[in-house]
Amino acid sequence: MTIVMKFGGSSLADADTIRRCAALVRGQSSDRVITVVSAMAGVTDMLIELAQAAADGTRMRVHTLLGKLHERHELAARAFGANEAVAPLLSQLDTLVAGIGAVSELTPRSHDAVVSFGERLSAVIVAAALEGHAMTGHEAGIVTDDRHTQAIPLMKLSLHQIRETLQPRLEHGEPIVVTGFIAGTQHGAITTFGRGGSDLTATLVGAGLPADEVWIWSDVDGLMSADPRIVPEARLLGHVTFAEAIEMGQFGAKSMHPRALEPAAEYRVPVRMRNTFHPDCAGTLITDGQPNGETVRSVLRLRGSVLVTIAGAAMVGQPGTAARVFQALADVGVNVQVISQTVSEAGISVVIPASQLDPARVALENRLVRTGVARKVEIESDIDVVAVVGAGMAGVPGIAARVFGAVARRNINVMAIAQGSSELTICFVVKADASATAVQALHAEFGLAG
Amino acid sequence: MKIAIVGFGVVGQALVRLLNERSGELYRQHGFAPRIVAVMDTRGAALSAQGLEIAALLHAKASDGTVAALADCGVAGVDSEQVIAECGARVLIEATPSSLRDPQPAIRHLKAAFRAGLHVVSVNKVPLAVALPGLRELANYNRVMFRFSGTVGAGLPVLALAQQCALGDEILSVRAVLNGTTNYILWRMHEAGLDFAAALAEAVRLGYAETDPSADIDGVDTAMKTVIFANVVLDRAATLADVQVAGIRDLPRERIAAAAAGQRVKLLAEFGEALRVGPEEVEAHGPLDVPANINAVSLSLRHGGEVTLRGPGAGGVETATGVLRDLLDIWHALGSAP
Repeated sequence: MTIVMKFGGSSLADADTIRRCAALVRGQSSDRVITVVSAMAGVTDMLIELAQAAADGTRMRVHTLLGKLHERHELAARAFGANEAVAPLLSQLDTLVAGIGAVSELTPRSHDAVVSFGERLSAVIVAAALEGHAMTGHEAGIVTDDRHTQAIPLMKLSLHQIRETLQPRLEHGEPIVVTGFIAGTQHGAITTFGRGGSDLTATLVGAGLPADEVWIWSDVDGLMSADPRIVPEARLLGHVTFAEAIEMGQFGAKSMHPRALEPAAEYRVPVRMRNTFHPDCAGTLITDGQPNGETVRSVLRLRGSVLVTIAGAAMVGQPGTAARVFQALADVGVNVQVISQTVSEAGISVVIPASQLDPARVALENRLVRTGVARKVEIESDIDVVAVVGAGMAGVPGIAARVFGAVARRNINVMAIAQGSSELTICFVVKADASATAVQALHAEFGLAG
Repeated sequence: MKIAIVGFGVVGQALVRLLNERSGELYRQHGFAPRIVAVMDTRGAALSAQGLEIAALLHAKASDGTVAALADCGVAGVDSEQVIAECGARVLIEATPSSLRDPQPAIRHLKAAFRAGLHVVSVNKVPLAVALPGLRELANYNRVMFRFSGTVGAGLPVLALAQQCALGDEILSVRAVLNGTTNYILWRMHEAGLDFAAALAEAVRLGYAETDPSADIDGVDTAMKTVIFANVVLDRAATLADVQVAGIRDLPRERIAAAAAGQRVKLLAEFGEALRVGPEEVEAHGPLDVPANINAVSLSLRHGGEVTLRGPGAGGVETATGVLRDLLDIWHALGSAP
């Protein structure tokens, strides 16, 4: 088997945890393994702060952060005799930061260059632990567009180049460690993927080779039927579909970022979520397999959102109102999480992140209320979104009745409802203080405790 | 329009000759006045921002074996990727003779051109057979045009015809004779009763086959064309590994003789569920029974029935005509861009 193993920052906290990861790679001695690493725990945040501090000219802070970064990596490197490998990288980082300080300006491009050192340093340390070879995502063949900090890979080209670069090395039997999260433009400038970036590197490498499985090692066992802090009897899901995993990720489960699952889903590479600190657990396998007969697989809760209702009689029968609402929100960069509208068209409700409420409200009032398209914008801030997810729900009548029956029996008022046409998810909005009860009720209703 | 050419063999030379001979007509009909600002071969380059003198270019190549010998403009031992990026051309023509054993130089030329914002016409099949989906993605990302009609059928507009046929109809299957060399050999084995070795020797002597005919007789050339056709016309992200290939090397005369009455053996590319290249029987005197080194592509359309294109599918001038067609296509598209 060819396996891509990705280790997150929590699995790479210090020399001891790195040694544990190396043992997990070596443990698959009969398989061919390519390792993808994040930065060591906490390092990416330090680098982001360092880059900003350098641009702001806060020298003491820069000095302190650089000191900490040197110490963390030198200490871990010493355990594997990798000091000579990390020294040039750390000195490059010093130079880069001094350069940013000199011009007092942090461009997205130099931000990416600074942040990239987290993965580049951890990769050489892990490579030393494995007695293998470290390379950057760009060296491995990943090419992205030039949107620094949020780069998107040129998928087909990257997959071709990954195969071309890594396949011969793999056959050669040399352990390879690839930096997660960072890649490069066609001109060779360093880019980063944004959230979930290291997982994306792992699935790209998996799809490019192609690998038989991609294993994502983190500090959770896998995907659960519910958050165990809400539902103590929640159960680990042994097997879910890509569609389910992507949906669960949208609702904030400790899943993989939906974008990271895309290459695996498209090129049908199974992904396994596993726990570095609990390696006996098989974790959650994500494949494109058919639903296994169960309808609802998981109940999730999304916090920190607000319900915004745009209302007004003038909206009735008026084509284009919805377009104006979403255009207004899009223009200020608001991410709409749930949409709900009734046939009467007297109101459109959307759920958005609470952090984006202010610009959203201003945009809607200015663009719609001021112009008379809508009468008012109502905000419900004390709300949560509850979702049931399951690929097997599609085409099965009566699921919605059971969902809302179970919620109604607990006297919980449902404020808005949305279901996608894929029938993979039903989600609804409730008062925040009732959401835990709703999750528990649904978990019991669908017998998810097993 | 400024043009750079990398690879100055038979096709490259035929192209500049063609551009030279037809310059008046190209200008009158299309307003097309190409200026060749860079030509690269294995030993160096000739560069001129004003445009190279074509007769001198051909003369340098003929007498000294390299364009680097051209007076004033010649430079020995250049980095071709750097020349592509910096020569100021709008279009690159990739006409190097790269082999499947090392597709990288040609792939690097194409990537360098896309990165630098050049449109590309490729005559070279190899980089396409190996990496077409990725290369097209990179071209699209850089918003440049990528044409390669000469790679399949040389001067015959095989890809364009098939794409037009697919528009509003459905291509059910495709059967094609895409390699002139093997068709000549099989034709002579049948017509003159030659055995394989004798037919091959004759093809080499008449210039239909190269001195190393492996890529032709092992079916690799046909397979590469199959991959390109499948990607472009059938929208399949295929690579060479997806084609089942059998060649005609040492095909016994008995195989030809054993073909049923009214049948002929051809090296056929078939696009059905799978992509296959191998010796197959076709109907004698039917659309695919072409003589000598002629190519034939037969499309079976759901509504339009059987459509066949036949004609010479190789040769320097023929291929150069395909390049010119691509150049004019790019020239027209640039003119009509908003």
